[in-house]
Amino acid sequence: MPRERPLRLPIFPLKSIQSSISFAFSCVILAAILSISLISYQLSVGAVEKNSQGYIEEIIKQVNTNIQSYVDNMENISLLAMTSKDVKYYISDNSFISPEERRPYEKRISDLFQAILYTRQDIANLMVFGYNGRFVSDRRITDLNPNADIAQQAWYKDAKAAGGRSVISAPHIQNIIQNEYRWVVSLSRELKSTDGITAEGVFLVDLNLSVINDLASNINLGKRGYVFIVDRKGNIVYHPQQQLINSNLTAELIPEVTAAKSGSSFIADDDKGKRIYSIQDTSFGWKIVGVAYTDDLIASKGTIRNSILLYALCGLGISLLISFWLSYRLSRPIRNLQADMKLVERGNFGIQTEIGQMNEIGQLGRTFNMMVGRIKTLMDEIIQNQESKRKSELQLLQAQINPHFLYNTLDSIVWMAEQKQHEEVVLMTSALAKLFRASITKDQEIVPIRVEAEHIANYLLIQKMRYESQLDYEIDIADDIMRNKTLKILLQPFVENAIYHGIRGSADKGLIAIRGMRVGDNVVFEVEDNGQGMTPEQLQRLLLPEDGEDRKGIGIRNVDERIKLYFGREYGVHIRSEREVGTCVTITIPIL
Amino acid sequence: MRKQRLTILLVLVLATAAVYAVFFSKLIPGPDRGGKTITVVLKSLNVRSDYWQAVISGAQTAAKELGVRLDLQGPLQESDVEGQIAALRDAIARKPAAIAVAPMDDPRIPELLGDVRAAGIKLVVMDTPLALKNPPAFVANDHLQAGRLAGDAAARAAGEAPAVAVFSDSQKAPISNQRYAGIEQAMKAHGGRISGIYYSGDSEQLAYEFTVALLRTNPKVNAFIALNENATLGVAKAIKEAKKTNAYKLIGFESSIYEIQLLEEGTVDALVVQKPFNVGYLGVKTAVKAAGGRKTDRTTLIGSTVVTRANMNDPEIQRLMFPFPVIQ
Repeated sequence: MPRERPLRLPIFPLKSIQSSISFAFSCVILAAILSISLISYQLSVGAVEKNSQGYIEEIIKQVNTNIQSYVDNMENISLLAMTSKDVKYYISDNSFISPEERRPYEKRISDLFQAILYTRQDIANLMVFGYNGRFVSDRRITDLNPNADIAQQAWYKDAKAAGGRSVISAPHIQNIIQNEYRWVVSLSRELKSTDGITAEGVFLVDLNLSVINDLASNINLGKRGYVFIVDRKGNIVYHPQQQLINSNLTAELIPEVTAAKSGSSFIADDDKGKRIYSIQDTSFGWKIVGVAYTDDLIASKGTIRNSILLYALCGLGISLLISFWLSYRLSRPIRNLQADMKLVERGNFGIQTEIGQMNEIGQLGRTFNMMVGRIKTLMDEIIQNQESKRKSELQLLQAQINPHFLYNTLDSIVWMAEQKQHEEVVLMTSALAKLFRASITKDQEIVPIRVEAEHIANYLLIQKMRYESQLDYEIDIADDIMRNKTLKILLQPFVENAIYHGIRGSADKGLIAIRGMRVGDNVVFEVEDNGQGMTPEQLQRLLLPEDGEDRKGIGIRNVDERIKLYFGREYGVHIRSEREVGTCVTITIPIL
Repeated sequence: MRKQRLTILLVLVLATAAVYAVFFSKLIPGPDRGGKTITVVLKSLNVRSDYWQAVISGAQTAAKELGVRLDLQGPLQESDVEGQIAALRDAIARKPAAIAVAPMDDPRIPELLGDVRAAGIKLVVMDTPLALKNPPAFVANDHLQAGRLAGDAAARAAGEAPAVAVFSDSQKAPISNQRYAGIEQAMKAHGGRISGIYYSGDSEQLAYEFTVALLRTNPKVNAFIALNENATLGVAKAIKEAKKTNAYKLIGFESSIYEIQLLEEGTVDALVVQKPFNVGYLGVKTAVKAAGGRKTDRTTLIGSTVVTRANMNDPEIQRLMFPFPVIQ
């Protein structure tokens, strides 16, 4: 007995087709949405990154232009000084200026320098140093720092070495003026005499470093971005974190920067974070480098991420719901079929499952319906067969111990005993005994033909002794089928019939011939008599199912049914009969 | 068989998705920055104090680099203990992620710092050591090393057998005492000796007078080490007046314009310069680290640099001596 299970299945049972389908759907959907959102995030961030890279390049170009313009201005100022006759004359070795004449010269040069300085707040100093030891600055009174040796200053040495070309220094502290220590960038240039060959002095323009500082600090490269400058050799000219670099607390990607071309940019990604380096070369050898952290620049990165995440989650939720619904829809016919099968399992063969669409499941349902129907017919048949078998067995039992036959036989024996016919009594009694012994072997339904032949011989012997001259018989059963099997008490009903209905009413001496032979793959028995015979109507009645209580013995039809039950439909009983001629019963069974 | 294949396919798809997710998730959350506030409480916010301004610019640089908000607090004057206590109280009330403090010498301060920790705020002590139970992360100049550098410089300048007179501010000043210990170590290494220690407070005049007296009475001294600016200026004045700048070597501390001029003219032979920028920078960096729950170094000591006439024009040294406001 299968365990009782609730007929209504839960909405979402595990291990069911529905959950398998929805699991598969969910996995596929999840993977698809995940990869699509990641890819789209990646793409959008990449696009934004590219844009910001271009934006930084543009900014650095601007910074470059500004710094360049400052330097160009310094250059122009230096040209102005170079071309000034007063300056030239003042520092020339060849000019003879008496100490009294010096002051007006100095004043004129100083005024020129001051005029320049008025317009330029970014210039810290303008100075000329003649190799003849004279010097003029933009101030009326200039006190040089006694402890600072001009000849040892880098800008002075570099200008001398450059021979007339202007030189830009790195930012440094300008300490040549007493009590002044200012961060400047110096442009210096050697001045030539009017012949253009003899060097006569050095001109100096100092640009306040704060100009570059302001320029760089006003650049918006995100919260953490910055600008730095390196020279040709890769020495840091300016860096907001220079002190940290000097203390080895941080490092800059100098080799990459010096290798990079002007106007190019590259992306660095290390423990400091992902950042864009954008490089611009100036004409005087500096490289302006802008550094921006992508996290800062791509402010929308978070927004992009969040919206993609949101849409992905919404999509995921909706598609998961759809997948549950779909799997529910798809598996519903199967569940219905399953429920019907459960009913069949419990023994209800009367149901027919509902067939929806003619898809695989519909076909399955149809086949199921056919199967259930067939099972039902087969079971009905079996029940019927069992019933009739039981009935025929009961009747067989009745036939074996037919009380009339027993009474008549015993009566005959008594009569014979009164006539002192001892031998006949012995013969008849022993035949009767054998007859009964044969019939009480209950357990064996199938017996060898030899046994059946003996049985019918005993029976006919008894009948012959009762009817004496009225009855004659002959048994002719082929030897080769003696070992084959047959149903027990197969022939007796026909012989009984022949005696009671054929011969007893006939005036002539009756003859019953019993034959047994092999015909093809079958064994055929014939029981023939030369009695009254039957009209076709009588024959018809004989073959109808017995309906009266008066019928004694086993009906012919029952024997036929018994044979068919045991051996199959193709076997059975056939009767030929003709009035006043006789009857011939042919019984066909298989060889066993 | 079919079912198994399907399962394998699904596992593959999921694994790919997982790999994708892991690979790109590096970009998605990013380092957690922004939103965090680090409060820095200094001894002085005076714009005229080069030392504290350098600390501030170091702190600002670190804050910018790490993307945290910086909240600078402190009194205007270094002597204003009440001001610092008030600033600390306010800071605790605002509950920043971490507080980096350069504590003043006052018995109430350690108690307040206990409150900082009790409020769940990470604590970093900068500049001045503080005796606390379960000492917090400490970032400061290495005064012992600075003393050693001064001693080395004196020995180098004075040649064999340096005999130094040390000018300190007071017997109780912990920084000066550490510097003094460093000098002792250096003297031991160079076979020199410390002929005397003089406490001139922060008075230039007192240092001058001590030196004048010393020059009269104890000619065996061949080098002076002045542990603060005022002492350096006082000693230099005395030596200059005696016209004995060649005979007596002077090693000073810090780098005011006056000291730099003395260095240029040769009265001062070397200056030991600290790196307050690095104190501020590393102080904030340590605080951010602590606020992020990461392990920090218990003590970070920052070395000083010796500036002489030979190297005073190096850009690195100029950066130290003339703190230039960095880009913010």
